[in-house]
Amino acid sequence: MILLQVVVSGLLMGAVYALFSSGLTLIWGMMNVVNFAHGDFVMLAMYAAFFAFSLLHLGPVFFIPGAAALLFVLGVAVYLGLMRHVSRGPMLAQILGTFGLALVLRYAAFWAFTANFVSLPDNLVGGTFDIHGLRIEASRLLAGVLALVITIGMHLVLTRTALGSRLLAVAEDRDAAMLMGIRPDRMQALAWGIGAASTGVAGALIALFFYISPTVGESLSLIAFVVVCLGGFGSVPGALIAGLGIGVIEALSAYLIGAVYQDVVVYALFLGVLWIRPQGLMGTN
Amino acid sequence: MKHWPLAVIGFLFIAAWPLMVQDVFLQRVGALVLLAAISASAWNLLGGYAGQVSVGHAVYFGAGAYASLVVYTELGWPPIAGAPIGVLVSMGISALVGTPTFRLRGHYFSMATIAAAELFRILAANWPLLGAAVGLMGPPVPRGFWDLSFLSPVPYHYLFLGVLIVLLALIWQMQRSRMGFYLAAIRGGDRAARSLGVPVLRYKLYALLLSAGFTSLAGSLYAVMVGFIDPDSALGIVISVKLLIIAALGGAGTLFGPLIGAMILIPLEETTNAMFGGGGTGITFIIYGAIILLVARFQPGGVAAFWDKLTTRRVRHVP
Amino acid sequence: MFLEARDIVKAFGAFKAVDGAELDVNEGEIVGLIGPNGAGKSTFFNCLSGDAEPTDGTIHFLGRDVTALSPEAHARLGMARTFQVPVTFEDMTVVQNVMVGAFLRHPHRIGAMRKAEEILEFTGLAHLAGSPAKSLGTPGRKRLEIARALATEPRLLLLDEALAGLTPGEVRLAIELVRRIKGLGITIVIVEHIMEVILSLAERAVVFHQGKVIASGAPRAVVDDPAVVAAYLGHHMKRVRM
Repeated sequence: MILLQVVVSGLLMGAVYALFSSGLTLIWGMMNVVNFAHGDFVMLAMYAAFFAFSLLHLGPVFFIPGAAALLFVLGVAVYLGLMRHVSRGPMLAQILGTFGLALVLRYAAFWAFTANFVSLPDNLVGGTFDIHGLRIEASRLLAGVLALVITIGMHLVLTRTALGSRLLAVAEDRDAAMLMGIRPDRMQALAWGIGAASTGVAGALIALFFYISPTVGESLSLIAFVVVCLGGFGSVPGALIAGLGIGVIEALSAYLIGAVYQDVVVYALFLGVLWIRPQGLMGTN
Repeated sequence: MKHWPLAVIGFLFIAAWPLMVQDVFLQRVGALVLLAAISASAWNLLGGYAGQVSVGHAVYFGAGAYASLVVYTELGWPPIAGAPIGVLVSMGISALVGTPTFRLRGHYFSMATIAAAELFRILAANWPLLGAAVGLMGPPVPRGFWDLSFLSPVPYHYLFLGVLIVLLALIWQMQRSRMGFYLAAIRGGDRAARSLGVPVLRYKLYALLLSAGFTSLAGSLYAVMVGFIDPDSALGIVISVKLLIIAALGGAGTLFGPLIGAMILIPLEETTNAMFGGGGTGITFIIYGAIILLVARFQPGGVAAFWDKLTTRRVRHVP
Repeated sequence: MFLEARDIVKAFGAFKAVDGAELDVNEGEIVGLIGPNGAGKSTFFNCLSGDAEPTDGTIHFLGRDVTALSPEAHARLGMARTFQVPVTFEDMTVVQNVMVGAFLRHPHRIGAMRKAEEILEFTGLAHLAGSPAKSLGTPGRKRLEIARALATEPRLLLLDEALAGLTPGEVRLAIELVRRIKGLGITIVIVEHIMEVILSLAERAVVFHQGKVIASGAPRAVVDDPAVVAAYLGHHMKRVRM
């Protein structure tokens, strides 16, 4: 029973991982660049949720979409101000660009909000469900289900709508898309917006039940990389499955070996998979 | 090399530095600049010359630092005796990370290096042999010359200068040889390089092994000088970031780039730390982040490329 | 046989870009691969050079099975290639680019430099030796790629649309260069969609259509082949309708 409990909470957390990793995989798919600041975007969204509540007294109904909108704007701004210029340069410049951004965000938060942990009140989304002895906190359930729905929604938008096919056309072949009258610049800006908005939602959701600190983004970035590598670069369904899997593995290893080693297991697994199946579990290279 | 005279003057200046300044703080900054230049030059072998950007070089730095102090705490040897062990361990880890990821696009390698570094940091932080979260101490009182434990930073300055000169001479030689050309070709594009008979995987691995080995040596030297390490100061992501930034700011893939980068960033860091105390770390990294962001956006070639641009423009004005 | 490719298939998922293609090349000749866009000639070409491993079929070069060998092994055995979109090493000078190729047979710097200078002389790039590769235009880059490939001292040179995008004057110069390369005793396989180039250069033309070889022989005879005419016409009509 306890094991089931662990698996369920792992799945719920994994759905949130899947959500922000989908944003990373979308950005990768569009531009072949990795956003090293991705986890720090999540961190910003967590603080946004925290301050929306503590200063403006706004509830989750407002701060979840609010964080998404805020991060969307940040994502577009990062694209226009930075990534558009470095994406065609040497790989070093691409890595440095988002890496520098990550440092600035992380330590600016450190400086502005101090290293102290903060958190939203427990009862913001209160209550615990008890299903035949399986206890699930409402906040985690909300986070997991909402993240799952949005991730699937993102996949549907990408595969079933005209906008999605325009995005994919640019990802596929920038020049050909241009000939079809699509403006790649706009689509890439949009991809950064959507990718960052996914971290906005995910951050606001995590903030419901998790402590907030300036450096929380560091390990979240790594989790996003692992999820994207395992799921195959550019694949949202891949990120979904890998995200859920990582959530469960993390929860199980925290329970079986100890919370200190949960990340060790995830990273070791990641490095191990690179040896056996370098292109990712679902990738095609 | 058109800048030889400048380089010679620069080295004379560096060699004379601890004699010109009497202040211990400034002497210490000098030694730290050289240590950073060694580490960043080692990173540069792989990240600059071969274009394989590692964001996890802290693993190798940490392996060297820990190896040095573990041979002291466990066996009572002088810390420097741990340096060769650190080099071997580092080369082992690098082969483990590099072999699978070098077949893939560059970003996989970067991500795998971060994951490996974090993995080892967490392990070290929980392993009693390595002092766990508390860290390890070197010999509190020198037991003999080979403990290389000096009160003044000056001996370290010349030790590091010697190592740096050897390393730069080696890189210079490499740069002119087949290996240098092959690494530059790999940086230019795997596919074209392979079509010309460049064994890409093998050369990337050579560069990684060399780079990891020298980074580890730098870690050992750091442990010998400072005499105390913990998971964050020897294995933290911050170390990886510093090496990367120093090399990129000075000019990745250039011989003197890392030294130039270190001469700019280390004094800056030490000054902010001295000014703001413990809270300075945050500000230092905001500045570091902003600098690499701007370098990436406006001058990906770093100071070296900027300098080239300046000097060539001046030449062009002469009819 | 100098180069022999049998039953080559290259599939991407369900799509067979090359579907049972054959090619024989004799030492010393210039063979042209032609065909409409998307006929599979570039994919086939990548199989020959080792850039892509065929899904099925075998390739023998100088009597050795090279089907599954890496591109660098192909280069060592004496096969060199250029790329449709030139990939010069941007942050190196022209002579350094060529030296990368020369290092294959001349492990020491001085030897590689001499070889590179000799090649630059031969390809008419000597006056640009010290210029950065990124300062070259398309014709210069294409020529530099040929020079770099020649520096590996190949016995077979594979040229992938080495003349596309050149002005008529530049095409004439390039044709003259290819003839001189043949004069060195180097065998050449050239992919081209400009018919005139094949007619004036190649001794034999091999026509691709939908992943298969539909005709092979003297260039003049091949272009008059009804099957070839139909393939090209069909292609043009499809284009018009688009």
